[in-house]
Amino acid sequence: MTGETMVLVGMGSGVMLLLAVAGGAVLGWANRRFHVPVDPRVERINRALPGANCGNCGFVGCGEYAEAVAGGQTALTLCAPGGPSVVQSLAGIMGVDAEPTWPYRVIVHCTATTDMRLRRHPYRGEPTCTAANLVADVQGCTNGCLGLGDCEVACTYDAIHVVDGVAVVDYTKCTGCGDCVDACPRGIISRVPFKAERILAVGCANQDFGNDVKAVCTIGCIGCKACTKLAPALVMKGNLPVLDYDKYEAGFDFLPAIEKCPMESLVWVGKPTAKDLEALTDVEMPQRADATFDTTVDKTEWWG
Amino acid sequence: MELFADLLLIAVGAALINNFVLSYFVGICPFLGVSRKIDTALGMGLAVTFVITVAGFLSWTLTEFVLRPGAPLASAVWRMLGGEGGADLSVLSYIAYIFVIAASVQFVEMYVKKFFPPLYKSFGVFLPLITTNCAILFACLLIMKEVVGGNWGLAESLTLPIFGGLGFTLAIVLMAGIRVELDLADVPKPLRGAPIAMLTAAILALAFLGFTGMGASLKQALTPAAAEPPAAVAAVEVQR
Repeated sequence: MTGETMVLVGMGSGVMLLLAVAGGAVLGWANRRFHVPVDPRVERINRALPGANCGNCGFVGCGEYAEAVAGGQTALTLCAPGGPSVVQSLAGIMGVDAEPTWPYRVIVHCTATTDMRLRRHPYRGEPTCTAANLVADVQGCTNGCLGLGDCEVACTYDAIHVVDGVAVVDYTKCTGCGDCVDACPRGIISRVPFKAERILAVGCANQDFGNDVKAVCTIGCIGCKACTKLAPALVMKGNLPVLDYDKYEAGFDFLPAIEKCPMESLVWVGKPTAKDLEALTDVEMPQRADATFDTTVDKTEWWG
Repeated sequence: MELFADLLLIAVGAALINNFVLSYFVGICPFLGVSRKIDTALGMGLAVTFVITVAGFLSWTLTEFVLRPGAPLASAVWRMLGGEGGADLSVLSYIAYIFVIAASVQFVEMYVKKFFPPLYKSFGVFLPLITTNCAILFACLLIMKEVVGGNWGLAESLTLPIFGGLGFTLAIVLMAGIRVELDLADVPKPLRGAPIAMLTAAILALAFLGFTGMGASLKQALTPAAAEPPAAVAAVEVQR
């Protein structure tokens, strides 16, 4: 390398060095001059979040969710991948108590088996609830379970079955996805936060007056309002008591209301407790009887 | 007067005739990326215009005094170190320009974040991407070519980036206006999304081709001394 080239290289390095110093000075000044104060919690929340940017929380990414949390505009519990541990750390950063979150499960608001439902007529159409729902007088109760198992077909987890003509949820398998809620043409399945292993449910969806209900069902809610007087968590909506599951607490004393109910429409649903199982060990369970629907149309053939 | 005519020619040339996006096809990335809404597109166009102007000014300064062959500052140092004649640091031009562009983009980013937070959000990733916007490097290199050739001073070197940037703004805002309407149009299924955007850009580029040749006639109109039309053209005029 000649001396001249050496000098040229040196000058080149010098120029770049000067440029770097000048640029650094200007940007450093601008950084301080145009500084935008950021809530320090945003940074900490950002670090506590998984950083997957999955968007499950409804925000564009973890950064946006962190900003919303720091601004107090949204709940701490929206991060599904993070789970309870992230909720805990977010609550720690925000200085609030972490509210426990509840898994969602479905409840079927009909408990009447086939023999309890009156004014049933033979139905020979396509054996789906959606089809049967279009036909008048398949059964007297227009809010009762049709027992043709649309929900059973819709369920990915094999968690809902038609037993004795009524859909029953298997809470050991249910994930609360809500597919059966969408599948039910009568809209008698609802998705609620499960705040305990076993929670109370209103086992009827019929909003008619007492006499009309009695004419179509032996156990339907007659709207006597007795339970609402004994349990304030139950409120009448039309002719039917409904439970506000947002206000539901495991400690509520529902026993008087359950005992008072003349139609036994208030039922406990959920996973059986150890005590229940123990109590049932001696009792002989009835055989599960699958409802048979004699129809000329085979389902598999019908759909090809 | 002659300088003014030159500047006008450069301005019209950069903005319309040789539009950066639609004629040279540089800066396509933000042109297609940030042209979904008119106000965002306008913001992007103005940000690019600002960055391109700052970068153009800085690159002219660097080229004129340091980088071009025989630049005064570099040559002085060169002679001090025992060299002969003038120094030629033009090998540094690319890295120096990129450095200058990156620094100006950083500056603009901070400024926008401070004073226009909604605009900052809508820019998203495209604001830092101005750094690698080839339209800006293209302008810098164009300036370098002319400055090294000894044709351009500061005025010309500022006119080009300003009007080039405005031309970019015009193109991107036009594109955004069309794409806003396209959202309501019944586009055939295979063409939805990117394909129709590409086609739109192509048709827009074709339309801008209509400005070709305007430069020569504008030059004739602006410089009366050289305006003597060639004989053949004059003859045609007379016949009419």
